[in-house]
Amino acid sequence: MMDRLNAVQKTVFAIILAGMVMLVAIPLLFFITVSFSNSTEMTQFPKNIFPSGEVTVYVEPKDDGKYELFYDYQDGSGYTSIITTNNASKLEKHFARQYAVVMDGEEILEEFSRTRTEGAREFTFRKDMFYNFKQFFKIVPNAGVALKNSIIVSLYTILISLSLGSLAGYAIARYQFKGREQINVGLLIVRMFPTVGISIPMAVMLIKMGLYDTMIGLAFLYSIPNIALTSWITSSIFIGINKELEEASYVFGANSIQTFLKITLPMAFPAMAASSMYSFLTAWNDTISALILTNENQTLALVVYKAIGTTSSGIQYAAAGSIVLIIPALVFTFIIRKYIGQMWGGVEL
Amino acid sequence: MHKNMKKATPYLLLFPIFIYYAVFWLAPVASGIKEVFVGMDGDFTLTENLKLMFRSDLFSESVLNTAAFAAISVVLQYVIALVLALLLSRKFIGSRFLMFISMIPMAITPTATAILWKTGLVKDGWINSLLMGLHIIDNPIVFMNAEGFQAILLLIVIDTWTVTPSVMIILIAGLQGLQKELKEAAYTFGANKWQILKDITLPILRPSITTSVIMRMIAAVQVWSIAVMVLGYSKAPFLVERIAFYVDAIPGVDTSTKLAYTYSFLTTIVVLLATVVYLRVSGRNKIAAGGEDE
Repeated sequence: MMDRLNAVQKTVFAIILAGMVMLVAIPLLFFITVSFSNSTEMTQFPKNIFPSGEVTVYVEPKDDGKYELFYDYQDGSGYTSIITTNNASKLEKHFARQYAVVMDGEEILEEFSRTRTEGAREFTFRKDMFYNFKQFFKIVPNAGVALKNSIIVSLYTILISLSLGSLAGYAIARYQFKGREQINVGLLIVRMFPTVGISIPMAVMLIKMGLYDTMIGLAFLYSIPNIALTSWITSSIFIGINKELEEASYVFGANSIQTFLKITLPMAFPAMAASSMYSFLTAWNDTISALILTNENQTLALVVYKAIGTTSSGIQYAAAGSIVLIIPALVFTFIIRKYIGQMWGGVEL
Repeated sequence: MHKNMKKATPYLLLFPIFIYYAVFWLAPVASGIKEVFVGMDGDFTLTENLKLMFRSDLFSESVLNTAAFAAISVVLQYVIALVLALLLSRKFIGSRFLMFISMIPMAITPTATAILWKTGLVKDGWINSLLMGLHIIDNPIVFMNAEGFQAILLLIVIDTWTVTPSVMIILIAGLQGLQKELKEAAYTFGANKWQILKDITLPILRPSITTSVIMRMIAAVQVWSIAVMVLGYSKAPFLVERIAFYVDAIPGVDTSTKLAYTYSFLTTIVVLLATVVYLRVSGRNKIAAGGEDE
């Protein structure tokens, strides 16, 4: 057999494979860890690759009823004194802000009071793992609204692209008519056309129409490449659908609308789902057009983009926002992965 | 009568998108072009705005950077992806896992990719943590100070991380689709591995490589968000980065609107040229593949 590998080749193969996986996975792991890190961990160096779920502090009781709090920054210098206090609300704030430990101040003091009898000791607290996520939506103005806007603009884009695109796709697949080839080329050009190039004049136009800074206005722009894409994807599927089935349906007395709804549409469903996912991703991932076409009503991607511009500290909150942004995009990409290869030059994955 | 109806059906089905593209595509494109050829005083001018762009800050840098970025990153990505694909294009345990992992970088929203790398590139970020942990460097590197070509290289590395795994998957898919009989026949006739690669594998892969390279180029020409989010405006100027700069960083000034229009126009021209090349290449591929209809 020509494809059998010897031991050396096998080892080299395994090393390349492991290297490849690590090159992709390590940055992602660090990034996820950052999104779960508290402020104190963010100042630490070197950074950990895995997120920690706990915070350990060292507490020493003082004579005046106060407690001295120590923290180990893992930089080799051991425990460093942080604050000395017995103020409950001050402690509560400090624990939330610095350690992402959300706990009542009085409770913390009660814990600490054990040092009066047991002597100075370490305390370990559980981190609120979603602290950064909550903070992101709290700190960044309108992040919640932006999340809603992103969902709305994606739905509009899907709706427009699917309804117009699949009609065109059906026409191109099922009819021989004058100008069919030109329309195909035209659709390709529209698909490739950079949306940035249209965004600025589009903004002027939308202002005149009263649709500037609205999600439907933004969806009109995102639909431009996606209508063409949808018609391209669906037409290739409509060609493949057995025409005899449709004809049989006519014989049994169904009209063309019934046939379309009962026979053609269900068979074209996977292609339509795939093109919807593409529409979703365009709307969900874009920043530049949203920057140009909106003012108050921003989308989540834009809000995350702006969050990094304004706050160089607190990058962990922006990271948490990015994770919220990534998850739907990731899920949908995996659903449509079969079609991506085809998009990229006709290879089936 | 019935026959005429049938003749009209495709046009009826296409009518909505004609209207849509007339209103939301053609009209803005036309008014965008018009803006480029209308001067600040409202009169027609052929070159005033173009001159304004040529003389604007960082114009030549943005053109050169865009060209360098698109060329270097695409070549680098395809060479690495091709080598990896040739090495990994066999069935092995965990190949599905590899595919899964490889899909991720491309699937991440660009904004998030930028933040991911920013958390790594800051001085106390994870890249320095990793390099020092592995004892590759002794002192942290200050990546964010990168300027000029170094900054472009940094962005190329980020883009390569993002894109290469996906390109690899596509090439692997292409390789697995290769007819095994062809290879075996070549073996029987005494061809060595290199000859098979050069004379069979690469020529068969070529059409799908060329079309996807052009698609990648079109995307690479429109780079901006990683540049702005990782380094900031004007640190690594690109064509689309300039548009965002004039819209986002200095809005409201008359010249900045004009410049944004003119840069948009230039970007569009570049992308359309690439599209023309794409059409010609894919047309040729179609003929080469026996003229079959897609």
